[in-house]
Amino acid sequence: MRANYTVNESVQFRILSEGQISEIVGAAIEILETTGAVFYSTEALEMLKQAGAHINGNRARIPSALTKQALQSAPNSVGLYNSRTGKKAMALAGYNSYYGTGSDTPYFVDPLRGERLRARYQDVANAAKVIDALPHVDFCMSLGLVQDVPRLTSDRYQFKAMVTNTGKPMVITAHDIQGFADIVAMSEEVAGGTTELRARPFLVLYAEPISPLQHPKDSVDKLLFAAEHGIPVVYTPAPMAGATAPCTLAGTLASGISESLGGLVIHQLKQAGAPFIMGGVFTIMDMRTTIFSYAAPEFNLLQAAQTDVAHYLGLPIFCTAGCSDSNVLDQQAAAEAMFSILVTGQSGANLIHDVGYLEYGSTGSLEMLVMSNELIGMAKRFVRGIRVNKETLATEVVDQVGPGGHFLGEQHTLDYMRSEFWTPSLMNRKRYDEWKDAGAKTLGDRAHEQVLNILAEHTPVPLTKQQLDRFDEIIRNADQRHGYQ
Amino acid sequence: MSNYLEDLAQSVIVGQEDRVKQLTQQAIDSGADPVEIINQGLIPGMNVVGARFKVGQMFVPEVLMSARAMNGGMELVKPLLLDEELPTAGKVVLGTVKGDLHDIGKNLVGMMLESAGFTVVNLGVDAGPDKFLQAIKEHKPGIIGLSALLTTTMLSMKDTIEVLKEEGLRDKVKVIIGGAPISQDFADEIGADGFAPDAASATDLCKKLLA
Repeated sequence: MRANYTVNESVQFRILSEGQISEIVGAAIEILETTGAVFYSTEALEMLKQAGAHINGNRARIPSALTKQALQSAPNSVGLYNSRTGKKAMALAGYNSYYGTGSDTPYFVDPLRGERLRARYQDVANAAKVIDALPHVDFCMSLGLVQDVPRLTSDRYQFKAMVTNTGKPMVITAHDIQGFADIVAMSEEVAGGTTELRARPFLVLYAEPISPLQHPKDSVDKLLFAAEHGIPVVYTPAPMAGATAPCTLAGTLASGISESLGGLVIHQLKQAGAPFIMGGVFTIMDMRTTIFSYAAPEFNLLQAAQTDVAHYLGLPIFCTAGCSDSNVLDQQAAAEAMFSILVTGQSGANLIHDVGYLEYGSTGSLEMLVMSNELIGMAKRFVRGIRVNKETLATEVVDQVGPGGHFLGEQHTLDYMRSEFWTPSLMNRKRYDEWKDAGAKTLGDRAHEQVLNILAEHTPVPLTKQQLDRFDEIIRNADQRHGYQ
Repeated sequence: MSNYLEDLAQSVIVGQEDRVKQLTQQAIDSGADPVEIINQGLIPGMNVVGARFKVGQMFVPEVLMSARAMNGGMELVKPLLLDEELPTAGKVVLGTVKGDLHDIGKNLVGMMLESAGFTVVNLGVDAGPDKFLQAIKEHKPGIIGLSALLTTTMLSMKDTIEVLKEEGLRDKVKVIIGGAPISQDFADEIGADGFAPDAASATDLCKKLLA
């Protein structure tokens, strides 16, 4: 007999045992120690040397003690805030899951023409606006890569398109460290100053190594810049099993995680305790077409396994879901999006990106985004599980209604129907005739309508004229430095 | 005698380099015609591999193993051939452009080209216009292939084409480009001769350009 207990029976899973995790982490640390990695940064190599790593040219072999020290000093949680309200929007820790878009797809499905075109400024602005309106999309990445502005400064324009259209936290890409510096300056304008941005960060910087085991200069610079400024950074390897990592999933995990840890070591050497989010897009190369799959079952296994490892290491984890290898929004896209959304939710991944990707990450789609929002709603309800207690077992209500009665008029039903049941906004539950009379629309048709609705109706909280003027000044200066205009 | 040719082709198809070398050496030792070894043994085997890959029956690493096996045999036969008898579909210089270190895509293109009989000179990563220029002078390729993953580095493709024009070499070599952000539009914009979305179609493109 148990008394006075509350349990939230969440339907989470783990795919790796404690022993398996320990072996994978051990292998990753061993790779860093014996094979090492290449760092194209004299500053990083110098720091590593000082700390006791064995340096040979650009190659650093990192002793396990150094890696363990970095794991020790990195924080277990990262908080992110809404840039408009200043309220905490996400606590990246433990099993808290948040979903958001991916960034920088070269192509975008134009919401009005339905065609796959080069992504433009307006596409990213539209994406941010849609994200701002969707209840289950918690953070914003650009979705598209802005290509109708000067190429070398497009990162600043891209950030402007995002931050003017949503207050939700965002993950930011930049071409180089100057791009980051400009975006941070713009963010400080939004937050109200350097101290304010540090106290209530609404952005995460994004950097990536190149598999296998290479840390390019720009990525290292970004890591060190983030550490120095106390801005959270996600360091995201993208190993392709069989091509840029071993073909076996365990080998891909070990190799990819060693890349994450290599980044963590230099990040923590620069500033111990600076916020770091591990993670990445670990997947397979399709051996027939050579695509980098965003939806294979092995991709989903690797997402879940990475999350298990991150929980074990006590680091927040960046994962991937709501994406598809399909070239258009079709049955395949829906099936694949649901698969990864559910897996990452059940694994308890923290910062889950790439919602809205079609064509193995090459095309952004607002319809895919709003459809995935619906799927995330379903998944979140599933992951929440079934709460069992005296009140929810409802034996008293059963007794009151008795045999042959009904529960529709009970206060208990009114109290629970909205929290116990998930209510669809896009999934069809209409009876056939009603559905037919309403135009016999498919899920894709309804997703498209919701996109058009949001674009027409939703108004994000605007920034001030002073803030926008300052943005323009920063962008103008960057353009001039690069010789535009 | 025809039996060894079938065996040789079959060994190429299954990617057994040792077996291919052994059969090739035996054929050479027993006085077989080197041109026959290539044209009726090694290449027919590789043609089957190409066809099977195209319909999805074979995977990229298997194609790579077959290409290695074929080349293993080819190396033994080559010294016996006159220059004009040397089979090559053409020579291609490949590189990832300046500022970019992403090379898996470019390497895949190289492997597929080699398996289709091209001679490939791989310049590696971070290859600026000068590096391509030097390679053109040194190797005299029919085609140069430029690869980029980053939108900031793809501009180097245009620079390379401009340098070729300045040096009066633009009409001596075909320029093809590829990589995640690259499209036919961009190829047209910078005056490249071709674009291919993946390694297999890059091979077809090279065949077409040198036909």
